[in-house]
Amino acid sequence: MLKSFFKYFFMVIITMFVFFPIVWLVSTSFKNPVDMFAVPPIFVPANPSFDHYATLFFEAGIVKYILNSVIVAVSTTLLSLVAGTLAAYSLARFRLPYRMNERLSFWVLSTRMFPPIVTIIPLFAMMRFFHLLNTRMGLVIAYTAFNLPFVVWMMRGFFMEIPEELEEAAMVDGDSRMSAFRRIILPIAKPGLVATSIFTLILSWNEFLFALILSQTRSAATLPIGVASTVTQYEIKWGEMSAAGVIAVVRVLIFAFVVQKHLVRGMSFGAIKG
Amino acid sequence: MQTEIKANMKNVTKRFGEVVAVNNISLDIKEGEFLVLLGPSGSGKTTLLRLLAGLEELTEGDIYIEDTLVNNLPPRHRNIAMVFQNYALYPHMSVFENLAYPLKIRKRSKEEIAKRVREVAEVLEISELFKRRPKQISGGQKQRVALGRAMIRKANLFLMDEPLSNLDAKLRVQMRAELRRLQKSMGTTTVYVTHDQAEAMTLADRVAVLNNGVVQQLDSPEEVYFHPVNRFVAGFVGSPQMNFFAGSYEEAKIKTDYFEYPLPPEVVKKLEKKGKVEKIYFGIRPEDVTVSKIEIEGAYNARIYVSELMGAESFVFFTIGNSVERFLSRTSPDFRGNMDESIWVSFKEDKIHIFDYDTDAAII
Repeated sequence: MLKSFFKYFFMVIITMFVFFPIVWLVSTSFKNPVDMFAVPPIFVPANPSFDHYATLFFEAGIVKYILNSVIVAVSTTLLSLVAGTLAAYSLARFRLPYRMNERLSFWVLSTRMFPPIVTIIPLFAMMRFFHLLNTRMGLVIAYTAFNLPFVVWMMRGFFMEIPEELEEAAMVDGDSRMSAFRRIILPIAKPGLVATSIFTLILSWNEFLFALILSQTRSAATLPIGVASTVTQYEIKWGEMSAAGVIAVVRVLIFAFVVQKHLVRGMSFGAIKG
Repeated sequence: MQTEIKANMKNVTKRFGEVVAVNNISLDIKEGEFLVLLGPSGSGKTTLLRLLAGLEELTEGDIYIEDTLVNNLPPRHRNIAMVFQNYALYPHMSVFENLAYPLKIRKRSKEEIAKRVREVAEVLEISELFKRRPKQISGGQKQRVALGRAMIRKANLFLMDEPLSNLDAKLRVQMRAELRRLQKSMGTTTVYVTHDQAEAMTLADRVAVLNNGVVQQLDSPEEVYFHPVNRFVAGFVGSPQMNFFAGSYEEAKIKTDYFEYPLPPEVVKKLEKKGKVEKIYFGIRPEDVTVSKIEIEGAYNARIYVSELMGAESFVFFTIGNSVERFLSRTSPDFRGNMDESIWVSFKEDKIHIFDYDTDAAII
């Protein structure tokens, strides 16, 4: 009895701890400036206002940021998934000499071991050289480069779980390697594919650092940059910032709800036995 | 030769880096025959089968299927069917879809596919399972579906890689018999890989015994069992294993550390013909060792190590003289012995085997 009391007590504490910033974010986005700094703090504003949202949509042009974000995140995910899945399959299946499978895979992963910021200056120089600064294309390339190792590593794990006999059977039955991959392996690896794409999508949706450096104008800037742009030289527009934050979070939340089933299945992948 | 050659391997070698898995094997597969590749794990039997299927690339040599050189043909162009050890059923498809898959890839009409699937399912008695997924059926049923998927199109060659080893003992015996009848009634040319010598004995028209990537003996099961060409085949085929005694040949006798065995004149003649034979292995199968509790002329005194009643037969493990090694007799269940009891063992004269000590090759 006491034990379960403590269990729930701690669970409530942790939930509150995690949830508080989000609650505060949502409530602030509906407050008028006076309520924002009221002491004691007001959690549920008496007269909720939609002013901040209106400003965002009609004056600050947040739609453009959202559009940029969607295009960049979706393109990055598609590109990383296609290239990464094929690479992962090769690394999982083909026996390369000198234990290259393991070495290459590790090398791929190792590109994620240094902090991203160390690549930003050379990346900036390269993007300028190719005239890709302030373009969505530039961001997609940068994000894909950064997401690929993750996709390769994750999908390789999924593929290695699938018994090799399955595509061998398919190849004997009349498939080529490629059509066996498409018709047998990909459908079986679907949960993994979905899980990986979700992670990639969220990662590129939330990315801030590269976007800040590589896209300074509104032509390519993504939502996180839009949120940050509410911090101006003279003031911090708390209300608009919160409202933009809510918009960013809500989209990911909706997406997560939709694919939740696959996400869980992707995590617990490995129940496949021939 | 009357029978047609269905497939043919010439000087086939497969190396994985430094490891030689298959070493210069030449082998004919006859039309309609059931050929079993038998060997311990690592003997190269599965590699040989996979070379035939096109799932491994040849290092050296040539493989012909129906007179076509297939060295560089991918599996799908070899017109072969294969059953895998773990069945390799497609988990995301129903039983029906699994059976239909080879035909679907070949773009056959829906009616034709449905008809063919029904035919095959009827033979294998799996018609009720059509809508189930592989996860929802038993091991024996999976086995049948895998078999059905192989049978669905008229393949030149059936390849089976230990298809029964994942089944429980009772089902294995049952499926073994069914497999034999099925193969005979359809006349399919089958190459079957196993490490189980009982499967090889019961299923095969011919057995190829492999060890270290080399075919040791290619013969009918009877020949392989009764006239093994070397000590490896003698030891591997037959369960329990043949008894071996190291010894030497002197003046019409086999001398081992534990006994002297006088050889019958015709054996002596054969041995003399081979020229100088000194060190040998003397081999005798457990069923050819008779045990008795009373002294018999020419029998050797032995001591029971342990006696096991198996039901239909009795296994008597014994030591001879001061031997540390234990030998085995397979005898009638009526024989009951106690530990350390003194017994008399003798060997059936016409069932003895003699192998060269150095080369392991059979002399008798």
